Amino acid sequence: MSAFSDALSVTTTGLQAQAARLRVLSENIANVDTPGYHRKTIPFEVVPTGSDVSGVQPGDVRLDRSELTRIHDPAHPLADGNGNYDGSNVDLIIEIADAREAQRSYEANLKMFQQTREMSSGLMDLLRR
Amino acid sequence: MFQNLDVFRTAMAMARHAGVKQAFSAQNIANADTPGYRARDLPEFRDTMRESLMGQRATRENHLNGSTTRTLDFSERRDALDPNGNTVSLEQEMVSAVGAQRQHDRALAIYRNNLNILRTSLGRK
Repeated sequence: MSAFSDALSVTTTGLQAQAARLRVLSENIANVDTPGYHRKTIPFEVVPTGSDVSGVQPGDVRLDRSELTRIHDPAHPLADGNGNYDGSNVDLIIEIADAREAQRSYEANLKMFQQTREMSSGLMDLLRR
Repeated sequence: MFQNLDVFRTAMAMARHAGVKQAFSAQNIANADTPGYRARDLPEFRDTMRESLMGQRATRENHLNGSTTRTLDFSERRDALDPNGNTVSLEQEMVSAVGAQRQHDRALAIYRNNLNILRTSLGRK
């Protein structure tokens, strides 16, 4: 395999991993008000894709086991004797910051893909003459 | 005649080096958020030149000239360690990738121009 196809396949794994991360993040954000919801996290791992280069793949989704927020609302159907119920442990600030980072990395990968294509089409122009 | 062939060989080695450099940049950017990943760096093209003017040190077994050492000598960046053990800096990778593209364009321009010289010497346009 040439270096260009290696580069393209590695970049593709990066795009897929960031997209998977964004999907998990949007699940967390959508469930910020769901009672008893634990936020999901997705780890990234190095995976060999070419002869010399290695890409990235998302690992298994895990649940964040940190404590749920206790919300005081006696009128809520799930409220206990003291009028409290379990909310989610999603922190919107963290999710949004993570989403920004994912977006930044996604765009960097996209830029890389574009540039590799430009380089390989330059090579093709040389052959076409 | 042989000089011309060496020009082609050097230009192609340069283009190939730029391609590998680009692949390494792509790998670093893809792993920009992987915990514990160490950014990889390739030596500059001029550092891979042999002592004599004729040809380069082969860094891959499919290189056109020279020995068949398989090992690709890359270095790992140790600076700017993130809390999760990652050493990729997107800004640095951007610079490195643009450098690779420019090197590739330069190599192709050298190749094309020398091809034109050969064509002209044959009396073609």
